[in-house]
Amino acid sequence: MPSAAEVAWLIPTLPLIGAVAVGLGLISVNSTINNLRKPVAITLLSCIGASTVLSYAVLAEQLSGAPEVEHLFVWASAGNFILPMGYVIDPLGAVMLALVTTIALLVMIYSHGYMAHDKGYVRFFTYLALFSSSMLGLIVSPNLLEIYVFWELVGMCSYLLVGFWYDREGAAHAAQKAFIVNRVGDFGLLLGILGLFWATNSFDFHGIASGLSDALSTGAVPQWAALTLCLLVFMGPMAKSAQFPLHVWLPDAMEGPTPISALIHAATMVAAGVFLVARLEPLYSQFPFVGLVIAVVGTITCFLGASIALTQMDLKKGLAYSTVSQLGYMMLAMGCGAPIAGMFHLITHAFFKAMLFLGSGSVIHAMEEVVGHEPILAQDMRLMGGLRKKMPITSRTFLIGCIAISGIPPLAGFWSKDEILGQAFNTFPFLWIVGFLTAGMTAFYMFRLYFLTFEGEFRGENKELQAQLMNLAEISNDEEDHQHQPGKLHESPWSMTMPLTALAVPSVVIGFVGIPWNSQFAKLLNPQEALEMSSHFEWGEFLALAAASVAISTAGISFAFFAYYRNRIDIEKLFANRFSVVNKFLQNKWYLDEINEKIFVRGSRRLAKEVLEVDAKVVDGVVNLTGLLTLGSGEGLKYFETGRAQFYALIVFGGVIALVALFGVLGPAPT
Amino acid sequence: MPANPLITEQLGAGFPWLSLSIFFPLVGAFLVPFIPDKGEGKEVRWYALCIALVTFLITIGAYLQGFDPTIDDLQLSEKISWLPDLGLTWAVGADGLSMPLILLTSFITALAVLAAWPVSFKPKLFFFLILAMDGGQIAVFAVQDMLLFFLAWELELLPVYLLLAIWGGKKRQYAATKFIIYTAGSSLFILLVALAMGFFGGGAPNFEFSTLAEKAYGSSFQVLCYIGLLIAFGVKLPIVPLHTWLPDAHGEATAPVHMLLAGILLKMGGYALLRFNAQLLPIAHAQFAPLLIILGVVNIIYAALTSFAQRNLKRKIAYSSISHMGFVLIGIGSFSSLGTSGAMLQMISHGLIGASLFFLVGATYDRTHTLQLDEMGGVGQKMRIMFALWTVCSLASLALPGMSGFVSELMVFAGLVTDEAYTLPFRVVIAGLAAIGVILTPIYLLSMLREIFFGKENKNLVSQTKLIDAEPREIYVIGCLLVPIIGIGLYPRLVTDSYTTSIEALVKRDVAALEQIQNPSASLILSKGITPAVIKAPKL
Repeated sequence: MPSAAEVAWLIPTLPLIGAVAVGLGLISVNSTINNLRKPVAITLLSCIGASTVLSYAVLAEQLSGAPEVEHLFVWASAGNFILPMGYVIDPLGAVMLALVTTIALLVMIYSHGYMAHDKGYVRFFTYLALFSSSMLGLIVSPNLLEIYVFWELVGMCSYLLVGFWYDREGAAHAAQKAFIVNRVGDFGLLLGILGLFWATNSFDFHGIASGLSDALSTGAVPQWAALTLCLLVFMGPMAKSAQFPLHVWLPDAMEGPTPISALIHAATMVAAGVFLVARLEPLYSQFPFVGLVIAVVGTITCFLGASIALTQMDLKKGLAYSTVSQLGYMMLAMGCGAPIAGMFHLITHAFFKAMLFLGSGSVIHAMEEVVGHEPILAQDMRLMGGLRKKMPITSRTFLIGCIAISGIPPLAGFWSKDEILGQAFNTFPFLWIVGFLTAGMTAFYMFRLYFLTFEGEFRGENKELQAQLMNLAEISNDEEDHQHQPGKLHESPWSMTMPLTALAVPSVVIGFVGIPWNSQFAKLLNPQEALEMSSHFEWGEFLALAAASVAISTAGISFAFFAYYRNRIDIEKLFANRFSVVNKFLQNKWYLDEINEKIFVRGSRRLAKEVLEVDAKVVDGVVNLTGLLTLGSGEGLKYFETGRAQFYALIVFGGVIALVALFGVLGPAPT
Repeated sequence: MPANPLITEQLGAGFPWLSLSIFFPLVGAFLVPFIPDKGEGKEVRWYALCIALVTFLITIGAYLQGFDPTIDDLQLSEKISWLPDLGLTWAVGADGLSMPLILLTSFITALAVLAAWPVSFKPKLFFFLILAMDGGQIAVFAVQDMLLFFLAWELELLPVYLLLAIWGGKKRQYAATKFIIYTAGSSLFILLVALAMGFFGGGAPNFEFSTLAEKAYGSSFQVLCYIGLLIAFGVKLPIVPLHTWLPDAHGEATAPVHMLLAGILLKMGGYALLRFNAQLLPIAHAQFAPLLIILGVVNIIYAALTSFAQRNLKRKIAYSSISHMGFVLIGIGSFSSLGTSGAMLQMISHGLIGASLFFLVGATYDRTHTLQLDEMGGVGQKMRIMFALWTVCSLASLALPGMSGFVSELMVFAGLVTDEAYTLPFRVVIAGLAAIGVILTPIYLLSMLREIFFGKENKNLVSQTKLIDAEPREIYVIGCLLVPIIGIGLYPRLVTDSYTTSIEALVKRDVAALEQIQNPSASLILSKGITPAVIKAPKL
């Protein structure tokens, strides 16, 4: 029996085959396929399921110490340029494969319930399979260029899925924004890849790292050029992992269906940037300055996300900013030269954030029964409250997620976040302070979400509030909404609660694979580093830092508890009114969207318009003017417009023939 | 597949594949008047489709039977002395530069005939012109004699002109006239240069490429010829600012003509630049190449911006064509076999993608009866398959990996960046600017998709027009185009292997010429900063 790694190419291929088959069916026999919901869902689920099984087999092999496997073939070549493609299986990849397939599988099961009433059910499943395939391909890519290929493909899937409900104006804009902001990052990534190829003649991760250090030592590449290239490449992860200032697309991307927000915009695709930085570790570790930049960007993002999340009233947007913030933590770890800590947080975060998003989807699903399908209403926490009694499974899993992300031991988030903060404390103490404060904010805003949604009284039937919210969003009530018959709140079907429960388990226990004094996770990824870690481990430092972060998290939670559950603290009075400028600043998301809109969107539009004016008036004007002049007068042009221009063509053609004939008559040149 | 040993340069030996592929559609075209047809085109369209398909099969036969991609020399040659006094010979042949484009021509033409299915106004004349164009365009790529090339080039203008002038939109006369003045006027330069080169060096005039290539032209003579040819081919490609005929012509053409314009006609310019400017005039090319690259960048950015501001769908796509052709220019000027291969692949790739987009524009117009983006919106709900096809083709056009456009642009980029012919700052600036196109392309293409398909339905549009979804014929046409687009994207060597050897030979010649003019005084046109005066010395 061949080893699982030898057939690992099947992992991305299986979902692709399923997606292509269903996609072709949708194009050719649309209505038939659209009616075959169950068969399609089962087919695609079994494709992903098979990939999952295979991924775990691969992971098991790697755990038992199997060597890396790499298979390449020549994809393109010209001159002495040879570009290999293929796949590589190593511990890092194996872990990511298992993670992505698991979450993709659970999200797919969940989608069966969530999308049950949607007419795009089949299309949705096809996109999901396509995305899974691209994401898995990205993980097994052996070189930067192949990563770029799949990088773009996951971006495309994200575009298709954010714009899934294409009749919504907001979705259309969000999808476009996501793609274009990512392209800005890819612009840097592409140039960086090309530059690194120029400098090292390689696309391979290790080849680049060793090639660049050789080139630096021989002086073939100056230091500044190497730094520039590293930072250019980092632009890619900045966009994909929503780092400041390219994070603006992620909150908007919440326009997509909620399962997508869980899978793509929380657990997998947005983590691809962090994953790429981890892959590039041999390169980045040579440049402390690049590490510093990454750490600073990560910290800014971390703080920015958490601060905006404090004021969000939209449940999904709150979670989205929380994702931005957590991705910042991961980048901070990468910048501190601790890719293992970053990857560890990536994994724990993937589980509990996917669960939180799926939980929010469950809430929205229930809210839609009461307030209708308008996302402004269904996702606003001012209309929620008291859902715990109606939705016990959802609320319990959501609570687990909140505890996990707040970093309360022994849940998963504690171990991974503490690891990062510990690394930051030793490398960049100032950044540690920011990260530490953010941990408190995280605990506060997460429990704010929980209390507003699940505790207190249900406020969803308040028509006045609904109208007020609609006015605020400047949306006129459509006729459809008036026809909406308000239903009752209820817990979601098993297909939605089962994945929630399944995700709750790793959210609680996954942290134990990375306990700092005996980290199985580090042993798998980098045994040498693991040894070092455990030998450097000091109980004193660990306990002090852990106590501090638990303390600030507890403070955040208690503050939220008294403000939103017991209503002992009036946030409005205490904070919002006193620091109204800060409050406004946060509510408007640091005004980044406005700046973006004013400078880039309108600027590029104006520039394009001006160029078009020039094209139409100046360039074409000169041409027409020349035409007029050569024809003697405007009468000439009029003549051509009356339909006799065919003659002109004949004249030109005849003239040419005559000219050729003339040369013929003149005879051969005398020699 | 090894070359047929029977095919030699000798008259009559071997099967005349190329002559057949030129004359078969031409003869087929002249037989169109004898096809019994009731005037609605129902019979003649089948006839035209058969002729176009057989032509396609002939070119495939030529490729499989007579063409060996591992040889960089001319193959499938045929040579008949035609007017010896004039030095005119019927010389056709194919190397790696021509063969893929010949295949592309017959392929796109066959699909264009399928796209012309609904044509009911003067169908006989229409299909006559399309078939005549097929032969003429294959001739452009296959002939090996410069005078003959000029004739073929002119021969193909007339059908385009008539197709525009008779079946075009409201401003068709203006567009057609502009087209003919531009192209016929500029092609006079081809004639002049052909004569100059043919008579150069005394002796009996001879216009065969192989003979022309062996003559030792002086440096300034080459430069003069180069300028003339650059104008002629720059109009066709088009190069900004010689492009203004294109948005008008494209804006007025019907869908099948569109496909031919974008799919094949623009490629004639790129092909001719490679064939004449780069191959026959290497010394001048060594001096002008930086200019080509700069013009390429201008094309990419300028046309992308104009495309973004355009509110007319057809013109938007037309400008996007110009933008994409910028990569061809950069590739041709790159002095690297990788970049030049990329240029070649970009021509093929854009031929396929451009044709598919223009076909979709036509199909959409048939339903919405408007091309103004402001009057569209939300049609995605009524036309879901159409929406899907549009999305796939737009993604192909914005160079999504997995499709052909990505590979060709990547090859051009990598060729430019890794090649040592230019100074590092020049390469950095050019690559940076060209990469801005990578951001601009999705901006205009995705905005376009959003404005056509996304959002709430435009009530006016829905009430006035019948928005039916794509019919099988349309799906089939796009499917045929997508197979090679995705095929190349997944495994580019499917196509690149067929021309790599020829391109490598060509680039070798150019690089040799570049080394020859190391002497900076030979650089006539450009300042030292940009001249690629063999910046090999310091490896950075």
